[in-house]
This record gives sequence, C-alpha cells and structure tokens, in this order.
Amino acid sequence: MDLKFLASDRVEALVSHLMHQKAVYAPQRMGRHSVALDKVTNPAAVVLDYSRTMQSVKKYFQPPRDELLKFDLTDQSFAAATVEPLDAVLLGIHSYDRAAIDRLDYNFSQGQPEKNYLKRREGVIWVGVSYEPDEFHFSGSVGIGPLETEGFDVFLSRVGGGYQVETVTEKGGEILAGFDLPQAEQGKPSPGHFHQHIFLPQARLNEVMAASYSSPVWEETAQKCVGCGSCNIVCPTCYCFNVEENVDIKVTGGTRERIWDGCMLREFTEVAGGEVFRGGLAERQRHRVLRKFKYLSDRTGHPWCVGCGRCTAYCTAGISIVSIVNRCVSDFEKHPTTAV
Amino acid sequence: MKLNELIQPQEPRDLYLPTMATLRDIKPLNALETLYTVELPGGADLGHQPGQFVEVSLFGVGEAPFSISSSPTRKGTFELGIRKVGLLTEKLAALKPGDKLGIRGPFGHGIDVERFKGKDVLVVAGGIGLVPMRSLINFVLDRRDDFGRLIICYGSRSDEELLFTEEREAWKKDPGVDFHVTVDRGSPAWAGRTGVITTLIPGLELELGKTVCCVCGPPVMYRFVLLALKSRGLSDESIYMSLERRMKCGVGKCGHCQINHSYVCQDGPVYHYPDLKSLEEAL
Amino acid sequence: MAAKPRVAIFDFTGCEGCELNQLNFENQLLDMLGHVDIVEWREAMDDRPGEYDIAFVEGSLSTPDCIKRINEIRRRAKVLVAVGACAVQGGINSMKNTRPIEEVREEVYGKDKYLFPTLPALPLSSVVKVDVNVRGCPMTQIEFLKVFTALVMGKQPVEPTSAVCVECKLKENECVYERGMICLGPVTRGGCDAQCPSVGQYCTGCRGLVPEPNLKAMEDILVTHGLSVNEAWKRLHLYNSHELEGLKS
Repeated sequence: MDLKFLASDRVEALVSHLMHQKAVYAPQRMGRHSVALDKVTNPAAVVLDYSRTMQSVKKYFQPPRDELLKFDLTDQSFAAATVEPLDAVLLGIHSYDRAAIDRLDYNFSQGQPEKNYLKRREGVIWVGVSYEPDEFHFSGSVGIGPLETEGFDVFLSRVGGGYQVETVTEKGGEILAGFDLPQAEQGKPSPGHFHQHIFLPQARLNEVMAASYSSPVWEETAQKCVGCGSCNIVCPTCYCFNVEENVDIKVTGGTRERIWDGCMLREFTEVAGGEVFRGGLAERQRHRVLRKFKYLSDRTGHPWCVGCGRCTAYCTAGISIVSIVNRCVSDFEKHPTTAV
Repeated sequence: MKLNELIQPQEPRDLYLPTMATLRDIKPLNALETLYTVELPGGADLGHQPGQFVEVSLFGVGEAPFSISSSPTRKGTFELGIRKVGLLTEKLAALKPGDKLGIRGPFGHGIDVERFKGKDVLVVAGGIGLVPMRSLINFVLDRRDDFGRLIICYGSRSDEELLFTEEREAWKKDPGVDFHVTVDRGSPAWAGRTGVITTLIPGLELELGKTVCCVCGPPVMYRFVLLALKSRGLSDESIYMSLERRMKCGVGKCGHCQINHSYVCQDGPVYHYPDLKSLEEAL
Repeated sequence: MAAKPRVAIFDFTGCEGCELNQLNFENQLLDMLGHVDIVEWREAMDDRPGEYDIAFVEGSLSTPDCIKRINEIRRRAKVLVAVGACAVQGGINSMKNTRPIEEVREEVYGKDKYLFPTLPALPLSSVVKVDVNVRGCPMTQIEFLKVFTALVMGKQPVEPTSAVCVECKLKENECVYERGMICLGPVTRGGCDAQCPSVGQYCTGCRGLVPEPNLKAMEDILVTHGLSVNEAWKRLHLYNSHELEGLKS
C-alpha cells in the first residue's frame, strides 16, 4: 500500500489544493466547544482533530428543510424542485459517518429509489480522517473502527506530527494529483481505544433485542426522558420526515417541503382524528432503539446504529443508548427465555 | 453481505410529485363523510387493488392518505370516501366539480383478490372501515361468478353515521349477499339492530375452510372482532386485516406509518393475519 | 374570491408588544392588508363595527370586565386567535395566580383595592373557545404571517408542539446546559427557531409547556447538571403559572 505523509502544517495547503478542484465541506469551529461541518471559505479554518459534529454529513443529502415542489395557486400548476448533485469534497469525515451514509443510501435506493437524495449524493469525493474515541463513541462495538477506510476515496490517519495519507480509490488519487507528499515513514497509526462497549457482538444482538420487547428498561428510560426528540435529530441514520406547505404572503403560490421528523416526538404517529399510535415515551424509546438494533438489521444484517454516540452526548437527560442495549443484553443472559 | 451489495441499482425517481386529477362529483354520505369521484388526466386507469390508498393533496393545504372506495372493475374514475377531520379534509369539502387535486399512488398492499377466488368472502367493517371494504364488496359483486357467498357485517356508532344508503339497500335485497348491520346507539327512528359489531358474528352462517374474512375499522375494534371470528372457528390463515396508520409519503421512506419493522404503506394496509402476529404494535 | 375577511384586533391585560410587532411588518403589511379588511384595532385606528371573520386577541383576562368583553368578542368572531403568551397561556400576568388574590390586590392598590376588582389572570381558552394560538412573548412575525396566510386561505394553521431542543439541534447550537445555564427548552414548545439559545441566552419558556411535559425528568436534568431546581421552577412560572397551578391540583 502506498502511504504518504501529510505534516500538520501542510493541512491548509491540502485544503487549498482540494478547493481548486471542487467545493470543500469540512469540520470548522462553531461556538465555544463545538465543531460543525460547513462549506470551506478559509482553508485555515478546517479542523481535522475533533470528536464529533452535532449534525452529520446527512444534512447535505437530506437537508433539514428540503423543497419537494413549487406550486402556483392561481392555476394549480407545480414544478419539481431542482435538485443538484453536491459535487464536492467532503473532508475530515469520521468512519462512522461514512458508514451512516451507506445506510441512508440503502434506505433511499431500496424499494422506491428516491431522486432527491440520490441525486445530491452524486459527485462526492470522500476524504476521511481518524479520530480518538471519546467517552461517547462506541463504533468499535458495531464493527466500524476509527481507521476504517470503507467508502472513502482518501483516508487520513493521525500519526505523530501529522497524518498518514492513504489513497483508497482511483478518484482519490486523481484529486490528490499534483499535491506532492513524501512517503510515510512513521509506524502504524493508533487503532484507537474505545471507552464504551456493547457487551455482545452484533450477530447476536437481534436475538437479544427481540427478547427485550417487554423489558422494564423502556419504562425506566421513559421516566428520565423529556421526549424532546434531540436523539432523533442528531442521529446520522435517522431519515424520517414530515411534509409541510409554505404559502407566500401574497397567497399566490408557495412550496411543499419535507422537514426532519423524529419518532420520539408525540405527533409522529398521530392521525387525523387524534389517534396516537405510539402514545407513551416508553414505546417511543423502544421503537427508536429497535429501529437501530433490530428492525433494519433483521432485513440487512447490519445495525442501523453506527456508534457515533451523538444521541447520548446530546441528550440533556443523559440517556445512554449503550446502557439501554447493555441492559437488554444482561437481562437476556439472566433470562434468555423472556422472548415475546 | 456488504450494504451496498444489497442495493439493486434502479433509476431514481421523483416520488413526491402528484398527478393533477379532476374532481368529477361530490356526494355527501352523511353529516361527516363525503364521496369524491376523481378522474385522472385522460380518464387513465388508476390500476389499484381493493384495499389500497392514494395520497391526495391540495397545494398550500397539504397531503394525506385516503383509501380508495371504488372497485377496480369500474373504470374511468375512482372514488374516495373522506371524513371531515383535519386541515385537508375541511378544504376538500369546499371543492366543486371541475376543481383540481393532486393524486399520488395507488400505494400499499391491498387485497390479493386472486387468493379470494372461489371462496366465501366475509367482510367485517366498522365505521369508515366500510369505505375501503366497499371496493372489495363491489369487486366481488362485479365478478360474481369468481366468488362464493358474500357476507357483510357492518357496524356503526349510530344510524346517522351509516354510509352508502342506496348501496346498502341493494345489498340487503341482493339474494347473493348476506348483509348484516348494527349500530352501537340507535336514534328513535332506528328500527334495525343495536349492539357492537361483534354481536353480528355468532349468528353468521359460515362454511369454515371455504371462508376468507377481511376486517377494517377503528383501532379498538380489531382485537374483539378477532376473538369473535376465532370463536367461530375461522383459522388465522383465513383472516385479513386492513390497518390505519399515518401514511405520509406512501413510498416507505418517511417512517410515520411503521408498525415495528413493517411499513404499512408498503406491507399494508391490508395484512394477512398470520403476518401480523409478529408485529406487537399492530393490534 | 368572496368578500375579504373582516379582521379585528383586541387587547386585554398585557404589554401590547405583540400588537406592536404586528405593526412592524413593514415589508408585508401592505400585502396583508390586501387580503383583509381591518375593522377594529385600537392600536392603529378607532372605529368599531359589528361582526368579524377573524379576531386576533392579545393579553390575558384579569378582571370581570375582561370576561364580559371576551365573551362578546367570541360571539361576534368566526375565528378567534389568541396572540402571545398572555392570551395563550396566561403569561407573565398569571404569576399572580400563585398567591392569594386578595394579597395581590392589596399589594398593588393598597387601601383603594375595592375600586379595582381583579381575578386570577386567565388564558383566553379558560373562558372561551380559542381556534388558533400564536405563541411567544412576544409572538414572532414569521409565525404570525404563517397563521395569517393560513387563515386567509381558510385553513387551520398547524401549531408546533415539539420542544425547543429540536430547533437547537437543527441549528447545531451548543446546548445551553453545556454552558452551565438553566434552560427551559426541553419542556418548552418550539416553533421560535430557538431564538434565545441561538444568541447565547437560555429559553425562558415563553411559548408554554410541551403537551404532556415530563417535569420529573426535567428536575433530574437540572440536578445532574448541578443547577438549582428552585430557580428553574421560578423561571418556569414566569410564563406558565396558570398551567403549573393547574398541574399541581
């Protein structure tokens, strides 16, 4: 494998090199402690050493507000929204977020393939970066290590004084062409040490989660939960949405938009007439967790949780998805027959 | 297998753009319900199965799912029975023949009528559950020779809320239809039967093994009807149920209609009862 | 199109800030006026005719006279819109509801208290049927415009019910709790685009409690973050005393 070395003080130069070819989106400082993905205008603002962004790259392919069509009320005509490929370099992406996009790709391509998402997905060059797991990451437990290069075109692994640069695909080689880098001489990058673990391998989790249906853990979690929906809104594999009409003040036209929605919110299952099909927070918590660890994995063999730790890190009430799953595991080991 | 290997490459499509259809007729069914007759451009065939639904939208107001009430045997237009309960339905009620409305669909898994052929068909419909079931009823009536007996159990909260008066009269008179109706609370003018829908089931003449049953009604009804049907000896395999959920996108993306792992807009709204047993949230 | 809807605007106990906000629609005011006839608005004009299609009402009900007037407005209006925290949930005025009414009366009016009959400050909905709520202190222009266009189209506006947290997460705001401050966002209705947390403030709960609030869990959040539950509850009472008093009983 051909490995190059990118010294920390040349990161800026690399960003400039990429910006000459395509728009670049990368993590940048936002607020006092946080980092968010944004379009790069100043190469020096790019931050490659960070723990997580509140929103993942999902926001570029399924924007929080996404116009579906424009309508004209005067003649009841409409036009489809113009959807353009992102056609950009996504730089400094962690492996779990790349894995989340694989999952969304599946959701938006299987059954009825959706143009809005799939069109935006085109033309992306993925440049990944390794990370040091913090107190919330548990990607290792779902099989996605910090050095996982799957899905990336170029991957940067942190080593002393800079990054080891691996060209993963031909596309990756093309985007780096003309940017001279020396051979990497350093040793192997650190594979990272996780502080959070799910106690059971994914292959066995389906069985455990199936048996967890009537577990007291859902009611106990509900006691602590305010139902604010933050866990849905920050999740990189949540893709549920609602549709809204916006009418201009002249009342001559407007737009139909889809907006992010979440299964933790009360109205999510409410139908006209007032019936709410998942009324309690316990049922909603159960649905949220089983969607990540059972429903979609039954179908695909892959967990729909990528271990980014966002739902836990950004939960004001401190509800930990790892604790919920581990509680299900330990209950199962004590009483493996409580399956419904 | 890797996730991207599970994806079968297909051309992405615009899933959320409606076809602009024309409202041809509006007929009140009772104080709350209205029957809308809709025509696609050029009188195109909707191509639906009984039990399927469409997404109806009005620009600036919104979009919502409605079950198709007409039988696929009757071409040219299709019918939607709609209760006034929300934003969109209020505005729909104000439309006039000739007005435009957006249609997407048909969506979902309806009634596989092929599997009903040669069988006695038992329909159990509560309240507006009769709206989609009417599609099946008229299908059977239009293809009379393909099916055995047609047995209809229809329950409503009150006689004022009963739907499809003329058609009900015709079913009552039709010697090929075994029609039963009951209301929870009858008005002084009500001369028919009073009691919940389950009270109709014990008295039915059923030929077990030859009967298939389709149930549709308010959420609270299913468990009780199921018990009544099973106590008559109907097998799980002979029972189908049409479930209501919040079908927003109709194409298995938006997540609102999910019952455990199942998307009602894809696997339902009509489920074969044995498949529902693994869905704890269903009934 | 039929005749333009007749609109009336009324105020009860409040600061009239919401109404001032309605006058501040410099860019949209003319468009708005194109759709409706404003037949009654004390803040901007002074003539008073009969019936209204839409009545926008600001302020809470705090005297026997208020009750009479709101009943009269309800009788004359097809659609009644409560505008702002005072009208929707009682607002700041309802803080007085946490104390014996006589004590409050005496404190404000002293020996003349008998000249000023007073009631606990009530949201409009506790006396008459309210068709639409425009929440917030003050109500936001964006939301008012949405409600306004919906009503002009003759449809029921959608009222946001999820917590402020949703909007903070969409904007990638650093959580106020991470900044060591009390924030009422987790139990407060959003729809405000998380205005206050977005500019370094905390959520004051002005849009009212979310439906079915889990206040016990909210208390745990405060405790885990080492913040004062008493202080938070005091702040929650600023706009929500009426509802909190109701939850108590």
